Amino acid sequence: MNRVRPLFFWLARLAVAGLFLGACIAKIQDPAAFALSVQRYRIVPGEWINWIAIVLPWIECSTGLAVLAGTARWRAAGAALITGMLVVFTIAISLNLMRGIEVSCGCFSTRADASVSDVWNLVRNVSLIWLSLALFLEAFRADAARVSSTATS
Amino acid sequence: MIHNRAAFRLTGSCAVLLALAAILGTGVNFFRPAVTHLSWVGDWDEHIETRAFKAGVPVVFLIEARDRVNTQSSILFDARPIEQYLAGHLPGARPMPLDAVDERLSTYASLLSMDTPIWVYCSGEDCGDSLDLVLQLRTYGFTDLALYPGGFSEWKEYGGEIHMGDTP
Repeated sequence: MNRVRPLFFWLARLAVAGLFLGACIAKIQDPAAFALSVQRYRIVPGEWINWIAIVLPWIECSTGLAVLAGTARWRAAGAALITGMLVVFTIAISLNLMRGIEVSCGCFSTRADASVSDVWNLVRNVSLIWLSLALFLEAFRADAARVSSTATS
Repeated sequence: MIHNRAAFRLTGSCAVLLALAAILGTGVNFFRPAVTHLSWVGDWDEHIETRAFKAGVPVVFLIEARDRVNTQSSILFDARPIEQYLAGHLPGARPMPLDAVDERLSTYASLLSMDTPIWVYCSGEDCGDSLDLVLQLRTYGFTDLALYPGGFSEWKEYGGEIHMGDTP
Protein backbone atom coordinates (compact mmCIF):
# COMPACT_ATOMS: atom_id res chain seq x y z
CA MET A 1 0.00 0.00 0.00
CA ASN A 2 2.82 2.38 0.91
CA ARG A 3 4.38 1.83 -2.53
CA VAL A 4 1.13 2.17 -4.43
CA ARG A 5 0.16 5.53 -2.94
CA PRO A 6 3.16 7.58 -4.19
CA LEU A 7 2.92 5.86 -7.57
CA PHE A 8 -0.77 6.74 -7.79
CA PHE A 9 -0.07 10.41 -7.06
CA TRP A 10 2.78 10.51 -9.55
CA LEU A 11 0.59 9.06 -12.28
CA ALA A 12 -2.27 11.39 -11.32
CA ARG A 13 0.05 14.41 -11.52
CA LEU A 14 1.31 13.31 -14.93
CA ALA A 15 -2.23 12.71 -16.20
CA VAL A 16 -3.71 16.00 -14.94
CA ALA A 17 -0.68 18.09 -15.96
CA GLY A 18 -0.49 16.38 -19.35
CA LEU A 19 -4.16 17.04 -20.03
CA PHE A 20 -3.96 20.72 -19.08
CA LEU A 21 -0.69 21.35 -20.89
CA GLY A 22 -2.09 19.57 -23.95
CA ALA A 23 -5.35 21.51 -23.71
CA CYS A 24 -3.68 24.93 -23.72
CA ILE A 25 -1.66 24.48 -26.92
CA ALA A 26 -4.43 24.85 -29.53
CA LYS A 27 -5.97 27.74 -27.59
CA ILE A 28 -2.67 29.65 -27.40
CA GLN A 29 -2.04 29.04 -31.10
CA ASP A 30 -5.44 30.34 -32.20
CA PRO A 31 -7.00 32.67 -29.59
CA ALA A 32 -9.66 33.92 -32.02
CA ALA A 33 -11.00 30.40 -32.53
CA PHE A 34 -10.96 29.82 -28.77
CA ALA A 35 -12.82 33.11 -28.23
CA LEU A 36 -15.53 31.78 -30.55
CA SER A 37 -15.71 28.58 -28.46
CA VAL A 38 -16.12 30.69 -25.30
CA GLN A 39 -18.78 32.80 -26.99
CA ARG A 40 -20.78 29.68 -27.87
CA TYR A 41 -21.34 28.91 -24.17
CA ARG A 42 -23.32 32.17 -23.95
CA ILE A 43 -22.67 32.52 -20.24
CA VAL A 44 -20.18 35.39 -20.07
CA PRO A 45 -20.69 39.03 -21.16
CA GLY A 46 -19.32 39.84 -24.63
CA GLU A 47 -16.71 42.24 -23.22
CA TRP A 48 -15.09 39.44 -21.21
CA ILE A 49 -14.80 36.85 -23.96
CA ASN A 50 -11.52 37.99 -25.54
CA TRP A 51 -9.86 38.44 -22.14
CA ILE A 52 -10.86 34.91 -21.18
CA ALA A 53 -9.52 33.60 -24.51
CA ILE A 54 -6.24 35.46 -23.98
CA VAL A 55 -5.60 34.50 -20.33
CA LEU A 56 -7.35 31.16 -19.66
CA PRO A 57 -4.97 29.02 -21.79
CA TRP A 58 -2.04 30.44 -19.82
CA ILE A 59 -3.78 29.62 -16.53
CA GLU A 60 -4.08 26.05 -17.83
CA CYS A 61 -0.39 26.13 -18.76
CA SER A 62 0.88 27.56 -15.46
CA THR A 63 -1.31 25.29 -13.30
CA GLY A 64 -0.31 22.24 -15.39
CA LEU A 65 3.35 23.03 -14.75
CA ALA A 66 2.67 23.76 -11.06
CA VAL A 67 1.16 20.31 -10.56
CA LEU A 68 4.47 18.85 -11.76
CA ALA A 69 6.48 21.03 -9.36
CA GLY A 70 8.60 19.47 -6.62
CA THR A 71 7.30 21.66 -3.79
CA ALA A 72 3.96 20.78 -2.22
CA ARG A 73 2.98 24.44 -1.97
CA TRP A 74 2.95 24.93 -5.75
CA ARG A 75 1.41 21.53 -6.39
CA ALA A 76 -1.45 22.41 -4.04
CA ALA A 77 -2.00 25.78 -5.72
CA GLY A 78 -1.96 24.22 -9.21
CA ALA A 79 -4.34 21.43 -8.21
CA ALA A 80 -6.70 23.87 -6.42
CA LEU A 81 -6.96 26.10 -9.51
CA ILE A 82 -7.35 23.11 -11.81
CA THR A 83 -10.17 21.77 -9.63
CA GLY A 84 -11.87 25.17 -9.74
CA MET A 85 -11.52 25.39 -13.53
CA LEU A 86 -12.86 21.86 -13.99
CA VAL A 87 -15.92 22.67 -11.86
CA VAL A 88 -16.61 25.78 -13.97
CA PHE A 89 -16.04 23.88 -17.26
CA THR A 90 -18.36 21.08 -16.12
CA ILE A 91 -21.14 23.52 -15.24
CA ALA A 92 -20.70 25.29 -18.60
CA ILE A 93 -20.84 22.04 -20.60
CA SER A 94 -23.88 20.90 -18.59
CA LEU A 95 -25.67 24.16 -19.39
CA ASN A 96 -24.96 23.72 -23.10
CA LEU A 97 -26.23 20.14 -23.04
CA MET A 98 -29.38 21.18 -21.15
CA ARG A 99 -30.05 23.96 -23.66
CA GLY A 100 -29.51 21.62 -26.61
CA ILE A 101 -26.57 23.62 -28.01
CA GLU A 102 -24.72 21.00 -30.05
CA VAL A 103 -21.20 22.37 -30.16
CA SER A 104 -17.69 21.22 -29.35
CA CYS A 105 -16.62 21.95 -25.76
CA GLY A 106 -13.46 23.72 -27.00
CA CYS A 107 -11.50 21.73 -24.43
CA PHE A 108 -8.66 20.31 -26.52
CA SER A 109 -9.37 21.60 -30.02
CA THR A 110 -10.64 24.84 -31.45
CA ARG A 111 -11.35 23.31 -34.86
CA ALA A 112 -14.85 23.76 -36.27
CA ASP A 113 -15.08 20.01 -36.96
CA ALA A 114 -14.14 18.94 -33.40
CA SER A 115 -16.59 16.41 -31.99
CA VAL A 116 -19.69 17.77 -30.29
CA SER A 117 -19.92 17.72 -26.47
CA ASP A 118 -21.87 14.89 -24.91
CA VAL A 119 -22.38 13.25 -21.56
CA TRP A 120 -18.94 11.60 -21.81
CA ASN A 121 -17.35 15.04 -21.47
CA LEU A 122 -19.12 15.33 -18.11
CA VAL A 123 -18.00 11.86 -17.02
CA ARG A 124 -14.41 12.72 -17.97
CA ASN A 125 -14.57 16.05 -16.14
CA VAL A 126 -16.04 14.55 -12.98
CA SER A 127 -13.24 11.93 -12.97
CA LEU A 128 -10.67 14.70 -13.40
CA ILE A 129 -12.24 16.73 -10.57
CA TRP A 130 -11.89 13.71 -8.28
CA LEU A 131 -8.26 13.23 -9.37
CA SER A 132 -7.26 16.89 -9.02
CA LEU A 133 -9.02 17.13 -5.66
CA ALA A 134 -7.02 14.11 -4.46
CA LEU A 135 -3.83 15.82 -5.68
CA PHE A 136 -4.79 19.02 -3.91
CA LEU A 137 -5.47 17.30 -0.58
CA GLU A 138 -2.23 15.33 -0.75
CA ALA A 139 -0.17 18.43 -1.55
CA PHE A 140 -1.96 20.68 0.93
CA ARG A 141 -1.44 18.18 3.77
CA ALA A 142 2.22 17.82 2.83
CA ASP A 143 2.63 21.59 2.82
CA ALA A 144 0.80 21.94 6.15
CA ALA A 145 3.08 19.25 7.64
CA ARG A 146 6.12 21.18 6.35
CA VAL A 147 4.82 24.43 7.86
CA SER A 148 4.19 22.58 11.13
CA SER A 149 7.69 21.08 11.24
CA THR A 150 9.23 24.48 10.45
CA ALA A 151 7.20 26.11 13.23
CA THR A 152 8.22 23.51 15.81
CA SER A 153 11.94 23.43 14.94
CA MET B 1 -3.21 27.63 13.22
CA ILE B 2 -0.90 25.50 11.07
CA HIS B 3 -3.70 24.95 8.55
CA ASN B 4 -4.43 28.68 8.51
CA ARG B 5 -0.81 29.37 7.62
CA ALA B 6 -0.86 26.69 4.93
CA ALA B 7 -4.13 28.13 3.55
CA PHE B 8 -2.55 31.59 3.51
CA ARG B 9 0.44 30.23 1.58
CA LEU B 10 -1.92 28.43 -0.79
CA THR B 11 -3.88 31.62 -1.50
CA GLY B 12 -0.66 33.48 -2.20
CA SER B 13 0.60 30.76 -4.55
CA CYS B 14 -2.73 30.72 -6.43
CA ALA B 15 -2.53 34.50 -6.83
CA VAL B 16 1.03 34.21 -8.17
CA LEU B 17 -0.01 31.56 -10.72
CA LEU B 18 -2.97 33.66 -11.88
CA ALA B 19 -0.84 36.80 -12.13
CA LEU B 20 1.81 34.90 -14.08
CA ALA B 21 -0.84 33.61 -16.50
CA ALA B 22 -2.28 37.11 -16.95
CA ILE B 23 1.17 38.57 -17.66
CA LEU B 24 2.06 35.79 -20.11
CA GLY B 25 -1.32 35.92 -21.85
CA THR B 26 -1.38 39.67 -22.33
CA GLY B 27 2.34 39.77 -23.18
CA VAL B 28 2.10 37.07 -25.83
CA ASN B 29 -1.03 38.63 -27.31
CA PHE B 30 0.62 42.05 -27.38
CA PHE B 31 3.59 40.76 -29.39
CA ARG B 32 1.59 38.44 -31.67
CA PRO B 33 1.69 39.12 -35.40
CA ALA B 34 -1.42 40.92 -36.62
CA VAL B 35 -2.80 37.72 -38.21
CA THR B 36 -3.25 35.93 -34.89
CA HIS B 37 -3.56 38.95 -32.56
CA LEU B 38 -6.87 39.03 -30.71
CA SER B 39 -8.37 42.43 -29.95
CA TRP B 40 -8.59 43.06 -26.19
CA VAL B 41 -12.34 43.57 -26.29
CA GLY B 42 -14.35 41.84 -29.00
CA ASP B 43 -17.61 43.09 -30.43
CA TRP B 44 -19.40 39.82 -29.67
CA ASP B 45 -22.83 41.40 -29.22
CA GLU B 46 -22.83 42.10 -32.96
CA HIS B 47 -21.51 38.66 -33.89
CA ILE B 48 -23.84 36.74 -36.18
CA GLU B 49 -24.26 33.84 -33.71
CA THR B 50 -25.15 36.22 -30.86
CA ARG B 51 -27.66 38.01 -33.06
CA ALA B 52 -29.16 34.66 -34.15
CA PHE B 53 -29.37 33.52 -30.53
CA LYS B 54 -31.13 36.73 -29.51
CA ALA B 55 -33.53 36.37 -32.46
CA GLY B 56 -34.28 32.75 -31.54
CA VAL B 57 -32.82 31.39 -34.79
CA PRO B 58 -31.33 27.87 -34.49
CA VAL B 59 -27.70 27.63 -35.52
CA VAL B 60 -26.11 24.79 -37.51
CA PHE B 61 -22.40 24.04 -36.98
CA LEU B 62 -20.01 22.34 -39.38
CA ILE B 63 -20.66 18.72 -38.40
CA GLU B 64 -24.43 19.12 -38.73
CA ALA B 65 -23.93 21.10 -41.95
CA ARG B 66 -22.06 18.11 -43.40
CA ASP B 67 -24.90 15.79 -42.36
CA ARG B 68 -27.48 18.07 -43.93
CA VAL B 69 -25.52 18.31 -47.18
CA ASN B 70 -24.98 14.54 -47.30
CA THR B 71 -28.61 13.66 -46.61
CA GLN B 72 -30.12 16.58 -48.58
CA SER B 73 -32.80 16.54 -45.89
CA SER B 74 -33.53 20.26 -46.05
CA ILE B 75 -33.51 23.12 -48.52
CA LEU B 76 -30.27 25.11 -48.49
CA PHE B 77 -30.20 28.73 -49.60
CA ASP B 78 -27.08 30.74 -50.45
CA ALA B 79 -27.66 34.38 -49.46
CA ARG B 80 -24.58 35.74 -51.23
CA PRO B 81 -24.76 37.75 -54.46
CA ILE B 82 -25.39 35.55 -57.50
CA GLU B 83 -21.85 36.05 -58.90
CA GLN B 84 -20.36 34.54 -55.75
CA TYR B 85 -22.83 31.66 -55.90
CA LEU B 86 -21.85 30.89 -59.49
CA ALA B 87 -18.15 30.96 -58.57
CA GLY B 88 -18.69 28.20 -55.99
CA HIS B 89 -21.28 27.05 -53.48
CA LEU B 90 -22.17 24.23 -51.10
CA PRO B 91 -23.60 21.09 -52.76
CA GLY B 92 -27.37 21.34 -53.05
CA ALA B 93 -27.47 25.08 -52.33
CA ARG B 94 -29.86 27.28 -54.27
CA PRO B 95 -29.18 30.98 -54.83
CA MET B 96 -31.30 33.36 -52.78
CA PRO B 97 -29.61 36.78 -52.87
CA LEU B 98 -31.24 39.32 -50.58
CA ASP B 99 -32.18 41.62 -53.46
CA ALA B 100 -34.19 38.92 -55.27
CA VAL B 101 -35.94 36.96 -52.53
CA ASP B 102 -39.51 37.32 -53.83
CA GLU B 103 -38.50 36.37 -57.36
CA ARG B 104 -36.51 33.34 -56.18
CA LEU B 105 -39.24 32.16 -53.81
CA SER B 106 -41.70 32.00 -56.69
CA THR B 107 -39.11 29.99 -58.69
CA TYR B 108 -38.83 27.44 -55.87
CA ALA B 109 -42.53 27.50 -54.94
CA SER B 110 -43.00 23.82 -55.87
CA LEU B 111 -40.23 22.82 -53.40
CA LEU B 112 -41.44 24.86 -50.47
CA SER B 113 -44.19 24.78 -47.91
CA MET B 114 -44.32 26.83 -44.73
CA ASP B 115 -42.87 23.97 -42.67
CA THR B 116 -40.15 22.89 -45.11
CA PRO B 117 -36.81 22.73 -43.26
CA ILE B 118 -34.66 25.54 -44.64
CA TRP B 119 -31.11 26.53 -43.72
CA VAL B 120 -29.13 29.47 -44.98
CA TYR B 121 -25.52 30.55 -45.27
CA CYS B 122 -23.50 33.41 -46.72
CA SER B 123 -19.76 34.03 -46.95
CA GLY B 124 -18.88 33.42 -43.26
CA GLU B 125 -18.86 34.69 -39.70
CA ASP B 126 -18.46 38.32 -40.77
CA CYS B 127 -21.46 38.22 -43.10
CA GLY B 128 -24.96 39.10 -41.92
CA ASP B 129 -26.91 38.42 -45.13
CA SER B 130 -27.77 34.86 -44.12
CA LEU B 131 -29.36 35.99 -40.85
CA ASP B 132 -31.18 38.81 -42.63
CA LEU B 133 -32.54 36.26 -45.11
CA VAL B 134 -33.68 33.92 -42.32
CA LEU B 135 -35.48 36.80 -40.59
CA GLN B 136 -37.11 37.82 -43.87
CA LEU B 137 -38.26 34.25 -44.55
CA ARG B 138 -39.66 34.12 -41.03
CA THR B 139 -41.84 37.17 -41.74
CA TYR B 140 -43.19 35.29 -44.79
CA GLY B 141 -44.36 32.52 -42.48
CA PHE B 142 -41.65 29.87 -42.87
CA THR B 143 -41.31 28.09 -39.56
CA ASP B 144 -38.40 25.62 -39.78
CA LEU B 145 -35.43 27.92 -40.36
CA ALA B 146 -31.78 27.57 -39.38
CA LEU B 147 -28.58 29.48 -39.92
CA TYR B 148 -25.14 28.13 -40.84
CA PRO B 149 -22.91 30.99 -39.60
CA GLY B 150 -19.60 29.37 -40.64
CA GLY B 151 -20.78 29.80 -44.21
CA PHE B 152 -18.88 29.26 -47.42
CA SER B 153 -15.47 30.21 -45.99
CA GLU B 154 -15.60 27.62 -43.18
CA TRP B 155 -17.00 24.95 -45.53
CA LYS B 156 -14.14 25.53 -47.96
CA GLU B 157 -11.47 25.80 -45.23
CA TYR B 158 -12.42 22.36 -43.89
CA GLY B 159 -12.27 20.70 -47.29
CA GLY B 160 -15.99 20.61 -48.11
CA GLU B 161 -17.06 19.77 -51.65
CA ILE B 162 -17.75 22.86 -53.78
CA HIS B 163 -20.18 22.98 -56.70
CA MET B 164 -19.71 25.56 -59.45
CA GLY B 165 -22.13 27.30 -61.79
CA ASP B 166 -25.91 27.33 -61.52
CA THR B 167 -26.33 23.65 -60.60
CA PRO B 168 -27.37 23.26 -56.94
